[in-house]
Amino acid sequence: MRSSPPSGANLLGTTRAALAAYRVGLASSLAAWPVLLGRAIFYGVCLTVLTAFWDKVGAARLAGTLATRLPPGGLGVYIGVTEWITLSVTPIQLRLEDDIRSGALEPHLLRPKPYLAQTIATEAGNMTARLGMIALGALLILTVSGRVWPSPLALAFVGVLGVIGGFIGILLYCLVGLSAFWLRKVLPPLLIMQKLMFLLGGLFAPISLYPPALRALAEASPFAAHLGFAGLQIIAPSASAFCFALALQAFWILALSGLIALAWRAGLKRTLQGVV
Amino acid sequence: MNPAITVQELRKTYRFPKGRRGFLASLAGLVSPDYVELEAVGGVSFEIAAGERVAIIGPNGAGKSTTLKMLCGVLEPTAGAASVLGFTPWRQRQALAYEIGVVFGQRSQLWTELPVRDSFALLRQVYDQPQAAFAERLSSLVDRFGVGELMDQPVNRLSLGQRMRCEIVASLLHGPSLLFLDEPTIGLDVTAKAAIRDFIREQSLNEGQTVVLTSHDTRDIELVCERVIVIDAGRIVIDEPTGELRRRFIARKLVTLRSQAPTLDLDLPGVTRRPAEPHTTVLEIDTKATRVDGVIAAALALGGIEDVTIEDPPMEEVIHEIFAAIRR
Repeated sequence: MRSSPPSGANLLGTTRAALAAYRVGLASSLAAWPVLLGRAIFYGVCLTVLTAFWDKVGAARLAGTLATRLPPGGLGVYIGVTEWITLSVTPIQLRLEDDIRSGALEPHLLRPKPYLAQTIATEAGNMTARLGMIALGALLILTVSGRVWPSPLALAFVGVLGVIGGFIGILLYCLVGLSAFWLRKVLPPLLIMQKLMFLLGGLFAPISLYPPALRALAEASPFAAHLGFAGLQIIAPSASAFCFALALQAFWILALSGLIALAWRAGLKRTLQGVV
Repeated sequence: MNPAITVQELRKTYRFPKGRRGFLASLAGLVSPDYVELEAVGGVSFEIAAGERVAIIGPNGAGKSTTLKMLCGVLEPTAGAASVLGFTPWRQRQALAYEIGVVFGQRSQLWTELPVRDSFALLRQVYDQPQAAFAERLSSLVDRFGVGELMDQPVNRLSLGQRMRCEIVASLLHGPSLLFLDEPTIGLDVTAKAAIRDFIREQSLNEGQTVVLTSHDTRDIELVCERVIVIDAGRIVIDEPTGELRRRFIARKLVTLRSQAPTLDLDLPGVTRRPAEPHTTVLEIDTKATRVDGVIAAALALGGIEDVTIEDPPMEEVIHEIFAAIRR
């Protein structure tokens, strides 16, 4: 009994295996549908609390601030989008930390396909299931709450930027997870990352309301590409802003992928030398 | 026969930063750390022929897992050379992966939330297996390992024995010619262990696969492997056939006598009585001092003997004897 000649050391084989891993991630999340449902309910609870607060802030329309530009109830739906993405991104950093620190990485390294590509694809599959379920919850809440529905164009823009933004989130958390090659715990870099997401990503307030300098800084960061750009489209849909956001998201996917590749290569070297 | 594995003077030394006491010393350690070096493998050399079943054993910390990791390609040696199926493992890890199967007894390679069938299907993609050939091989392995009824169950609902059978099937799905097994029966009950050993031995005999096994369970070694490499403190101390090992290290036989009388009055030079139930006498015979047939003749002369069994001492005692000899 011999294996067939290796034909998978090429991009096609790797892509096929990654797609299979994506399907596995999707299938395993869908199989655990009660967990997905629970997550959608949690999303609803978060949104109820946050929109009750932000609707009051928005209604005040603080004079002299950019808040006057927001549509009525705009902050509430904005939060709905950023929370949709935030709650859909899977904790890939925990899986990486566990595999790297426990030695469970070794069996994965004994396979002919790259571990990291397989892991990211699986997590992307998980995230897709979450995005779908929470999106259904979001639309249900929108209907029940009696708010004005965003235009179909806005929903389409949000859908595209949200899914890509979620993938950028996976890449960001992946980078945090890879720090396990050097750190015993990934919690410290994770906390820093989350604070940056809160501040520069516009998790709770649109970055369009920020002072110009801070806004420019936020827009140039990967955190706005992760959360803020999708959120902005729900309150101020614009084809040009959509294209700008898409271009920045593409840039950050490339840049983060490069950083991840460098970190992985350096970390793997340590593992193969028995340092980790 | 061509060697499947050739190892020459393979060495591995781990290097760890040395901890310092006190705050200032710790800070200084960040700038210019001191290192401690630990030699895990100190220059091992051996060959394993294609189709051979070999156990690598040794006390905890002896260097056997480190050796195995270097042969799989997940650890780079400090010095030395190795060729596994013509590949240098740590330089050609991904190419080698197509040719070897690996089972880590304590780590699963299956996707725990998914049915077994889906895990196998994903492995087909991972190993670039053509659908038809894969289906044929899967069908044959499913029959041989008796996992047909487990195929639609999620992995996390399988018993340990069932999971291990599925793990071994998973490691064979791409048709490897070399199998590395690290503690494949750890944690299993007696029946499951016996089944796994039978499967591995039959698989190797039927398909001509080379098997390299590490285990602390001496029955794994005895029933699966034909050759034993003993490593201690990073060096090979014994490398010989399993039967020869037993003969060389234990010049003893165990004779069990079932008798009508509750006890037998046998007092012979070179014979030690072991504790046993009434009507059973277990004698340990030093074959250098006395002959087994002489002891049996003496027992039969007493009369009332219903049954006689002659055994080699358990492999566990052989290993214990070897480790004790190493320490002396």
